[in-house]
Amino acid sequence: MIQSKFGKVAALTLTAGLMSGFVSAPVHAASKTIIVWADETRGPHLQQVIAAKGDWVPGYTIKIVPFSSFAALDTAFGNATALTGPDIVVGANDWVPTGAKEGKLAPVTLSSSVRAQFTANNFFDLSYKGVLYGVPLDVNNVAMIYNSKLTSKPGTFAQMVNFYLANKTADKLTAGLCVAGGGMSWGAESVLSALGGAPYIMSASGAVDPSSDPLPAATVAANVSKYLLAKNGKSNGFFPATDTGCKTAFLAGTVPYAIIGNWEWQDYANAGFDMNLMPVPGILHGQNGAAFASVSGALLTVYAAAHGVDQGAKSLLNNFFGSAAGAVAYQNVELRPPANKKAQKDASVTAAQKGFGKAGAVAGVPQIGAILNGAPGGKAFWDLLPAFWTDVLVNGKSPLTSAQAMDTFFKANVAAGIPQL
Amino acid sequence: MKRWLKEDLWRHAVALVISFFVLFPIYLVFLSALSPTGSLQVTSFIPKSISFRNFHLLFTSPAIPYLDWMKNSIVIAGTIAVLSVVIGAASAFAFSRLRFKGKKQGLQLLLLVQMFPAILSLSAVYVIMERVYSFAPRIGLGTEPGLLLVYLGGAMGVNIWLLKGFVDSIPIELDEAAKVDGASAVQTYWLIFVPLAAPVLAVVSLLSFIGTFNEFILARLFLVDQHSRTIAVGLQGFISGQYATNWGPFAAGSIIASIPLVAIFLSLQRYIISGLTAGSVKG
Amino acid sequence: MEKFFNRKVTVTLKYIVVAFTSALLLMLIMSSFAKREYAISGFLTIGLIAIAVTYLTNYSIPMKFFLPGMFFLFAFVVGPILYTVAMSTFHYETGNYISKPDAISRILATGVRPDPNQTTFDIIIGEDSSKNLEILASDPTNKVYFLSTASTKTDLDPATVAVDGNGDATIAPGFHALTPDQQTALDQQIATTRFVYSSAFFITIEGSNVASLKSQTLKYNSSNDTFVNVQTGAVYKDNGVGNYANLTNKTDFLQPGWRAPIWFSNYAKLFTDPQIRKPLIQVFIWTMVFATLTVLTQFALGLLVAMIMNRKLFGRRIYRSIFILPYAMPSIMSILIWGGMFDTEFGAINHLFGSHVPWFQNAFYARAAVIIVNLWLGFPYFYLITSGALQAIPAELSEAAAIDGASNRQIFRKITLPLLLQVVSPLLVASFAFNFNNFNIIYLLTGGGPTNTLGGAVAGSTDILISYTYKIAFGAGTQNLGLASAISVVIFFIIASISLYGIRRSRVLDSFK
Repeated sequence: MIQSKFGKVAALTLTAGLMSGFVSAPVHAASKTIIVWADETRGPHLQQVIAAKGDWVPGYTIKIVPFSSFAALDTAFGNATALTGPDIVVGANDWVPTGAKEGKLAPVTLSSSVRAQFTANNFFDLSYKGVLYGVPLDVNNVAMIYNSKLTSKPGTFAQMVNFYLANKTADKLTAGLCVAGGGMSWGAESVLSALGGAPYIMSASGAVDPSSDPLPAATVAANVSKYLLAKNGKSNGFFPATDTGCKTAFLAGTVPYAIIGNWEWQDYANAGFDMNLMPVPGILHGQNGAAFASVSGALLTVYAAAHGVDQGAKSLLNNFFGSAAGAVAYQNVELRPPANKKAQKDASVTAAQKGFGKAGAVAGVPQIGAILNGAPGGKAFWDLLPAFWTDVLVNGKSPLTSAQAMDTFFKANVAAGIPQL
Repeated sequence: MKRWLKEDLWRHAVALVISFFVLFPIYLVFLSALSPTGSLQVTSFIPKSISFRNFHLLFTSPAIPYLDWMKNSIVIAGTIAVLSVVIGAASAFAFSRLRFKGKKQGLQLLLLVQMFPAILSLSAVYVIMERVYSFAPRIGLGTEPGLLLVYLGGAMGVNIWLLKGFVDSIPIELDEAAKVDGASAVQTYWLIFVPLAAPVLAVVSLLSFIGTFNEFILARLFLVDQHSRTIAVGLQGFISGQYATNWGPFAAGSIIASIPLVAIFLSLQRYIISGLTAGSVKG
Repeated sequence: MEKFFNRKVTVTLKYIVVAFTSALLLMLIMSSFAKREYAISGFLTIGLIAIAVTYLTNYSIPMKFFLPGMFFLFAFVVGPILYTVAMSTFHYETGNYISKPDAISRILATGVRPDPNQTTFDIIIGEDSSKNLEILASDPTNKVYFLSTASTKTDLDPATVAVDGNGDATIAPGFHALTPDQQTALDQQIATTRFVYSSAFFITIEGSNVASLKSQTLKYNSSNDTFVNVQTGAVYKDNGVGNYANLTNKTDFLQPGWRAPIWFSNYAKLFTDPQIRKPLIQVFIWTMVFATLTVLTQFALGLLVAMIMNRKLFGRRIYRSIFILPYAMPSIMSILIWGGMFDTEFGAINHLFGSHVPWFQNAFYARAAVIIVNLWLGFPYFYLITSGALQAIPAELSEAAAIDGASNRQIFRKITLPLLLQVVSPLLVASFAFNFNNFNIIYLLTGGGPTNTLGGAVAGSTDILISYTYKIAFGAGTQNLGLASAISVVIFFIIASISLYGIRRSRVLDSFK
């Protein structure tokens, strides 16, 4: 009985196997396809550009894979292996140290003509321990926009605060200056800087100065008390400690000044606002709060070699990502300030893109992940600054104590970060 | 009248307060979906102007293949709802009715497995499915069947546990009668248990449907292509993007996505109540 | 019915299903074996044998019911759990992520450095007369032209070379350019060939028309497993925990490293390193509080609603429809909406009450917000369950008690509640376990925050164990999968023992003996 059962089933299995063979017969993806992973804005835009003109690298097909969010892209790249990983990933500059340490990124050498298209800072952003891992793609920065229907261009930080306090009730203002783009650390850096603090000090030669105190606690605390706090030590409402709702409030005309990201300026332009872009003004006339100006990059992965498209991927970096033509084609849809120098001057690049570029040139500081991401076992700048705003503006803690605590961490981060550069 | 005041008035009062608690966020979703600026920022609880721009966007913007997302979610969640119950019910039946060695240990294992903080299996599942992709690209990473397989595994623990409760509530006399008639365990299962348990099976599959509908961590890793995303991934993308939060389309999309679920729930509510409680109230 | 389940039909049907499944498995076994995925192949083979033994013999009746569920449970739940346990014994973090052979090849690749001037050449990729890969290189600025293969370099006379508009050489004797498609086919060879330049430098191709001058600064010696820096002479040796470290300076090591087995070091760190232990204890306590409060509040409100509705009340159907809405709506959406509502400056809640509560900036309020939102999400479930259970409690019991002069309160405390608890306690345990690992609500609502970073805190005040583990494993900065896995395993043992104790006490499993 059992014998025959097995016999029957074996026969059936065999026929079924033959019949269903096609169901999961391995299909080999076209082997000479360069796979590029990107996030939710860059991905679809790159797709659009590649669809319009796909022959940047003769002999290869280019496939852009857009992820649903930056976080999803980050997790996927974190888990990826040679089996399904990308050949090029379009990512943030702080992915470079991690990707290099994890052995996921591969060194890149660019032709001298491509190298001439970018600044040394751009390459510094995408290098780890002196090795370059990608091509700079777009500049990431924020700038302050003011609502010219409410107010005029401020010359100093105090002017903004005074305007807010004077017109708070009459204009039904919900805040004075708020962060609409970039969050309470990256985006709000320029406010800290306007008030006299920084995560690190750059020396004139363009290197990090290990000896200067990045955050003179007494000065910063005094400025915070003077401009951001009311007499009772609570927030005077000028600068909210969170970024939620800021954009809507600015668009609704209830906030006169906002720090906005260069990736979303169109939302403001579309709502009828003039692109009144400027750095956050400092305490004194002529001073500016410095904002991070980093680049994102098209980074070469080690999987390109595993997939046998290493040379194609390198060509794509040189021919498309590194070229002015590629950068212009891409930035005409992505609408961020291009990193490529020629593309920056291109006529088709909008005034707003150039405005951000200018704000970056006036008040941009390099974003040094090795310091900002924190010493091992220490605290990242990204966590420290939001905590500082919360402590001072929300929880009513002493600005001096909080600034001193933050200063200690900043110093430790600088000390631990410099040898990593 | 006095009795009504004493017995019912406070009930209405409490019920109204709780209704307000329940409806307040839902009202805000509508407010935000219908507002032209599409924000959750509240300046007034009465809309000043109503605009269908956000809804319009969902069905016209090429960047938002909303109908595809909806379809994907329904297909995936629907398949899981059916398969996980079909497979889970068999195990639940065995746990509830059959005598065998290691039954208690098996149940404990099932319970414990659910308590393992499964978030790190993300890495493991990714590795496994990547490898599966290498030899069977149609069921590996990045494919809908691949995601289905993973969900099916994840649904097992919960469903078997829930279903077992329901099976326990079905009077054992029924299958004992069948046993006397000479039916085997397998026959008892198909002839007696399945027809009897149909309502509870439906409820559990509805719960699986909702659970799957809400999952986004795995889905956003597996289904990358814009047209193959699920609604949860798509909606989450609107507001947790690195660069922009779009509450308007998010709210509008959420409302449309909720309609089928709420409709099923409301139309089957009695059924659901009896199904849910069948599991806990032993007969 | 009897006829429909005709034995012959069902048996044939069973054979067909079994056969098709076996066929599918067999195919997967073969293709996975061909791809050297032996672990998967082995697992599938066991599955195949189990199917044959289970469904074609009567060896074990229960197995006939269990097998499909077990297959998936093992493949996607138990398997990953074992993987996590294995990960916990490795030095597996940012910087130590890949296997040792991969790490060696990565180190070698980063050890290839451009020359100090970062010289690049414009090139044409082609072949020499004997079909060896060859490049025609031009440096138009310095008017240098040459041909190079993996073994020889031939300088060309600038005076005789034919150049294009950019000043790049276009043709050379014996040189045949490759078409793009030919290049594509040779991608791997092109990318890895080192073309001759000088004794110190070689040339690598960096794109279809560019090549650069390189030298190898790090050399690997496989006989004693060491790296040597050619320029400084420093020797790097395997330090036992996944890195090549400088023999004279242990803090100078080469990156990337590899994931090396370190056995119980991750576990030891949990208990000995106060940096890790302290936040973990804080998070653990909050996780317990969170799960307990959630279950209690959800149950209490659910019960309250059920009791209110447990009589003919005008508009009962409408109320009931409203009350189950949170259960029916996609929770991911509700959580995100609540998140927007709790915003301090612009949120609806502060607007409604005219307050200025810093919901997500203050630990206490953030925790309250998490509990409130979870209450909203979960009370309908307990409402549905308890209302069913209440109806099932015989009315005679409370009527009899009322006749005996018991007050409503007494009836509730002495009769209704105990009966109810007896019924719902397994569901309370299940709900506790679910909320203990309720990742979504924390991740989507507060992200674990606020974190008292300036005060030295590492974990957020609403972080529960699972969200904290997620941060360690996948968060920003250094990701430590090994440590996160060790935490997972420890969490598991804690919650498992709590639950088993709870189960023993509540006798949930008694009926299974």
